[in-house]
Amino acid sequence: MTSRSARVACALAALWLLALTAGCRAEGTPEPSPNDPSSVMLIEQPKKHDGTDVKFIGEVIGEVMRRGDMAWLHINDDPYYLMNVEEGAQLGGYNSGMAVWLDAELTQKIAYYGDYKHEGDVVEVAGVFNAACAEHGGDMDIHAKSLEMVRVGHVVVDPVHPWKIAWAIGLSLITAGVGALTRLSRDRPIDARR
Amino acid sequence: MLLRPRLEDHLVIGKYTGKIIIGVGLLMVVPLLTSVVLAEWDTVLDFVISVAACLIFGFSTQLLCRTERDLSWSHGMVVASGSWIVATVLGALPHWLSGHAGSYLDAMFDVMSGYTTTGLYLLQDLDHISHGLNMWRHLLTYAGGQGIVVVALTFLFKGAAGAYTAYVGEGKDERLLPNVIQTARAIWFVSLTWLAVGTAALAVTGMVLGQEPLRAVLHGLWVFMGAWSTGGFAPQSYNTLYYHSLGYELVTIVIMIAGSFNFALHWAVWTGNRKELLKNVETISFAVTLSFTVLIATFALAKAGVYPDAMALFRKVFYQLVSGHTTTGFSSIYVRAFVTQWGPIGLMATTMAMAIGASACSTGGGIKGIRMGVISKALLQDIRRAISPERAVITAKIHHIKDVALGDGVVRSAMLITIAYLSLYGLTAIVGTLHGYDFLQSAFEGVSAASNTGLSCGVTSPSMPSVMKVLYILAMWLGRLEFMSVFALGGHLLSMVRGRG
Repeated sequence: MTSRSARVACALAALWLLALTAGCRAEGTPEPSPNDPSSVMLIEQPKKHDGTDVKFIGEVIGEVMRRGDMAWLHINDDPYYLMNVEEGAQLGGYNSGMAVWLDAELTQKIAYYGDYKHEGDVVEVAGVFNAACAEHGGDMDIHAKSLEMVRVGHVVVDPVHPWKIAWAIGLSLITAGVGALTRLSRDRPIDARR
Repeated sequence: MLLRPRLEDHLVIGKYTGKIIIGVGLLMVVPLLTSVVLAEWDTVLDFVISVAACLIFGFSTQLLCRTERDLSWSHGMVVASGSWIVATVLGALPHWLSGHAGSYLDAMFDVMSGYTTTGLYLLQDLDHISHGLNMWRHLLTYAGGQGIVVVALTFLFKGAAGAYTAYVGEGKDERLLPNVIQTARAIWFVSLTWLAVGTAALAVTGMVLGQEPLRAVLHGLWVFMGAWSTGGFAPQSYNTLYYHSLGYELVTIVIMIAGSFNFALHWAVWTGNRKELLKNVETISFAVTLSFTVLIATFALAKAGVYPDAMALFRKVFYQLVSGHTTTGFSSIYVRAFVTQWGPIGLMATTMAMAIGASACSTGGGIKGIRMGVISKALLQDIRRAISPERAVITAKIHHIKDVALGDGVVRSAMLITIAYLSLYGLTAIVGTLHGYDFLQSAFEGVSAASNTGLSCGVTSPSMPSVMKVLYILAMWLGRLEFMSVFALGGHLLSMVRGRG
């Protein structure tokens, strides 16, 4: 490789790196948290809010984990609490939310838990915020006394993009072709090929 | 004098890199099948495209780079480091196609983080990603923990004597058995046995905690992969805080520690030499430095009165420190709590634990316990020498599977790599600070990336400057491969430009 072609290679590599970052998906204005204090505020200023009564609205994600008469819920008040990325929400950063400890009976109202195929119910809980809960090994949580349904969640349809089908078929055919050629060439002695 | 590589050199490097990429493509079949079974059709297409891209690359290299020449030492090093880059570029396709990555660079960041068992991530809306993509994230880290060269050695290399150099290039240098391919298979045997037992333990615990059977099994499998590979990825954004369970934490602690141990130590215990656990320099070093950092953090947090009682204090401190020291990156506190609750001393103690890291030839990263042991012993040896009569012969040895005399060469090699790690930690901390982040937080995050830990105090985020993303990718890569093979790749590229024909 000459120094000139090396410079060209370096320029191409730089352009490629630029393309990697330039290919950013548009980030619009993400959905703000409906809470004051939000989960971000609670985590950023735990001492200030420790032991205070809070109302917390957000999407229930994952599942309910029952522990006897009580249960754990995880409620996200992040940019995806009304619509998630699979449904077309713009990227707005990481998930954010709070762990909630409450009476298991209250969770019976919940129909949908957020995951890939579901946008979870949006609920409002009211209770006490603990920066380091004595009952739960120092976990940061909310001990809720009530749970109200704000919006029932729904099934998220997993849309199959037609352009992906075209790419999948095209690349699979090329793979088969290159694979067959590789197999054929394996039987030929290396010297004969050169 | 640098010699320009000949065509044969490129052919042999291309051939073996291609084989490794075929291995990556075959690995993607697991998440592909996961998505098929769970009817995640869009994700199925993501993986069909990605598998095809890997196989096209791999087959093309087998077609174009036909040679019977075996890998030389430098070839092996270049293959090991270069294949990680190609595997990262192609392995990022499922992340990118999922729509959860802000840019292709973000997708590559996550994949390099997975392969290197770091655990930092930039995927957004993690709580809504498909099971297939979650399987891929965790499989990446599980395969990366054993080493993707080990994956290829196990299944795709047939009797290549030079394969040992690629194996060493991936930061592993223990021969458990005389043959390197048998060694690679032994590593898999140990890992797969742990996979079965660990997944079962976590799945049962998950069901007891209230998870449905399918979720409990999937979470058990993924959390096991994150723990054993000392990767730190978890299926939910809450990481292991999600489970709110002392039992779950205890099981993951056992797996994290086991994963951070040298495969040679595993093999010794496996073959009946259980006393090795108590005598090995790395287990002793781990016990000492873990106790030291736990003490510092406990003292600081007790003084600040962050936790309500001694049990809560110990539980939180011990878990984060074990996670940091084993370079896993699991966390049972919120990311920003390191700053808002733990404060500067807590941050420093965790940074120290991460910097030292796990054992050599394990799934973990960092400076490594064996180097800490060698350097400490050498220091003690020098002190003894200084206070002994001039004619006295002072010798020292370390115990790692067998007794090894502490010669100057061993100490020099340990010091060189340690200095390289410290320089990398320093560089990442300085670059973070120059971008406006607090120095301690930059140091915490930089050390976390370069030691392949994955704990975060909030610096890593999708909005982080691209320069820092690229630097962290390089730091994770350098840290995992322990510099030498990356330097060999740099030398190879330089010789292509400056070498004499």
